[in-house]
Amino acid sequence: MKNIDYPEEILQSLEDYNIDIRDFLPGHGKGAKLLLDFNKISGIEQVEGIVLKGREIPNGIVADIIIKEGTKHEEPVHLCFGINKETGVQEIFPRIIAENNTDVKIQAHCSFPNANGLIHKMFGHFYIGENCNLTYSETHYHGENSGALVAPVSYIYVGENSVFENNFNLTKGTPGKVKILIDIYALNNSVVRSNVKAFGKSIKDSIRIRDSVFLEGEKARSVIKMKAAAKDGGEVLMYGITEGNAPHCNGHVECSEIVLGRGSICRARPFIRATDPTSSVSHEASLGRFPQKWLDELMAKGLSEEEATDILIEAMLQEEVIL
Amino acid sequence: MLLEIKEVTIPTLDQKCVIVNDVSFGIEEGSIHAIIGPNGSGKSTLAYTIMGLGDYKTSKGKIYFDGVDISNLSITERAKLGITLTWQEPARIDGLSVHKYVALGLKDKSKMKEKVMEALKIVNLEPERYYNRRIDESLSGGERKRVELAAAIVMNPRLIILDEPDSGLDFIVLEDFMNIFEKIKKLNMTILLITHREDIGMVADYGTLLWRGDHIITDVFPKVMLRYCAKAGLKEFCKRTLFKNGAVCFDDDYIDRIFKEENKT
Repeated sequence: MKNIDYPEEILQSLEDYNIDIRDFLPGHGKGAKLLLDFNKISGIEQVEGIVLKGREIPNGIVADIIIKEGTKHEEPVHLCFGINKETGVQEIFPRIIAENNTDVKIQAHCSFPNANGLIHKMFGHFYIGENCNLTYSETHYHGENSGALVAPVSYIYVGENSVFENNFNLTKGTPGKVKILIDIYALNNSVVRSNVKAFGKSIKDSIRIRDSVFLEGEKARSVIKMKAAAKDGGEVLMYGITEGNAPHCNGHVECSEIVLGRGSICRARPFIRATDPTSSVSHEASLGRFPQKWLDELMAKGLSEEEATDILIEAMLQEEVIL
Repeated sequence: MLLEIKEVTIPTLDQKCVIVNDVSFGIEEGSIHAIIGPNGSGKSTLAYTIMGLGDYKTSKGKIYFDGVDISNLSITERAKLGITLTWQEPARIDGLSVHKYVALGLKDKSKMKEKVMEALKIVNLEPERYYNRRIDESLSGGERKRVELAAAIVMNPRLIILDEPDSGLDFIVLEDFMNIFEKIKKLNMTILLITHREDIGMVADYGTLLWRGDHIITDVFPKVMLRYCAKAGLKEFCKRTLFKNGAVCFDDDYIDRIFKEENKT
C-alpha cells in the first residue's frame, strides 16, 4: 500500500501531541502500522517479524499483533484508532503477543477530533514472553466538544525477565467520560513501569483510571506513576494498585494531582497489599496546588497567574517518553 | 532614578513585627546596586516587595519605578513594566525544557530560537548543549542559576533583581557570575543585587546597607561595605578585602575614623 486517504482532522489532532503521523501512514516510515477509520480497516502494513491481522466486526474490529520471537525494531508499531464522526460506537478487541526475546515499541493513537457523545471501547490482552522489552504508549484526543465515552480494559501478562513500560496520555482537548482499567501481572524478575497522565478541564470531564500491578513472580518490580490535573469543574480519580504476592518483589505507587478552580475534584487512591512477607510495596500521594513560589517565578517573567498555572500543568503532564 | 523606595515599612504577615523599617533610597538607571546586610536584615524581603510577591506588602511608604507608583501593582504588572527577579534557589520544573523556560518571558516570540541561544551564550551556557535540556535535577545549582539569568535577560527588562545569586556557588563560578553581571550592565539593564558577600558586591557601583531592618547608608559600594564592616567590628577583615581593581579603596586612617564614628553610635 503506497498511498492512503486518511481523515486530515485526525492527522492534525495528533500534532498537538507532537506526533506527525504522516510519517507513519502505510507507504511512509519504516514501522508496522494498523489504521482504523471508524470501524473500517483503512491500512495495514507489516514488517519483518511483526504480524498484523485485523478483522472487521459489527461496531469494530478484532486485531492480532504478533511480534515473532527474537524480533527487535527501533521503529514503533503504529496503531491508529481514529474516528472522524461525532457519534457512533467503536469496539476494539486487540490481542498483542510479544514472543520471547523481542524488543519493540507500540504507539497507539486514539483520536476522535469531532467526538460529541461518541463511544470507544477496548478490550485488550497483552501476552509478553520471556526476556522481552515492550513499550506500549497510548495517546488520546477526544476533540474540543463534549468529548467521548471511553472505556478501555487491558489485561497484560509480563513474562520472566521482561520489561514492560506502559504510557497512557490523555492531556489534550476535552476528554469527556473516561473509565480506564489496566491490570498488569508481573512474573519472575520482570519490571513494570506504568505512567498515566490525564487532565480534566471542565465539568464535562470525568476521568477514572484504575492502574493495577500484581507482582506475582519472584523479584518482580514495578513503579506506577499517575499524574493528573482537574480544573474548572473537571473530575479525575486515579486509583493505583500494587500487590506484592511473591518473594522479594518490590513495587511503588505514586499519585500526584493538582486541583484548580471551583468545583474541580481530584481523588487519588493508592492501594497497596502484600501477601508475601519478603515483598516490599510502598505508595505516596499528593493533592493540591502548585507551590506559590513556582507561580511567582513564572509571573515575574510577565505571565498571568492563569498562564503560569497552564505552563506548570503542561510541564507536569509532559509526555516523558518520546518514541 | 529608575527605582525609588520612599519611607517603606514592611511588616511580617501577621503584622506583629516590622522586617524593614522606614527605608528610603534610590537606584540609578544602568547601574549595579547591591543591597547588603547580615542575615535577617530584610534584604530579600525588600527585594520580594519590590517585585510585588503576594506575601510581601508595605504597611507604609511607596515604591516608584521610573516615576510611576507601583506599590499596588501585581507581580505580573510589574514584570510587564520591566522588572524581574531571579531567585536564590530557582525551582526545577521537570517537564520544561531549557529553551521553553527561557522563552517564557519573551514579549515578541519571533526569532525565538536566536534570542534564547543568545541569552544562553551571555550566561556562558553552550546553547547546543543546553537548549533541549530539562529544568530538572540533572542541572547543577550553578547551571540552574545561569538558566534563570538567561530567562531574565531574554525579557530585556529595565531592572533585574538578583536575590543572592552567590549562594551555593564556588569561587570559580562566582568569578564567572561577576563577569556575567558586567555583561548584563552593558545591555543597559539595571541590576539590584541582594547579597551578603563583599566579593560579589564589589562589582556594584552603589550599595545600600540594611541593618536589622533599618537603612544605614546608600553610597558608592566600597563606602557602604566599609560601614558594614565597621558596624560588625571587622576592621582586619575590612582591610583585607576592600580592594577595587587591585587597589585599596581606603587608607588605614580613613578606616580607623569610620570605625570610631561607628563605635560612638
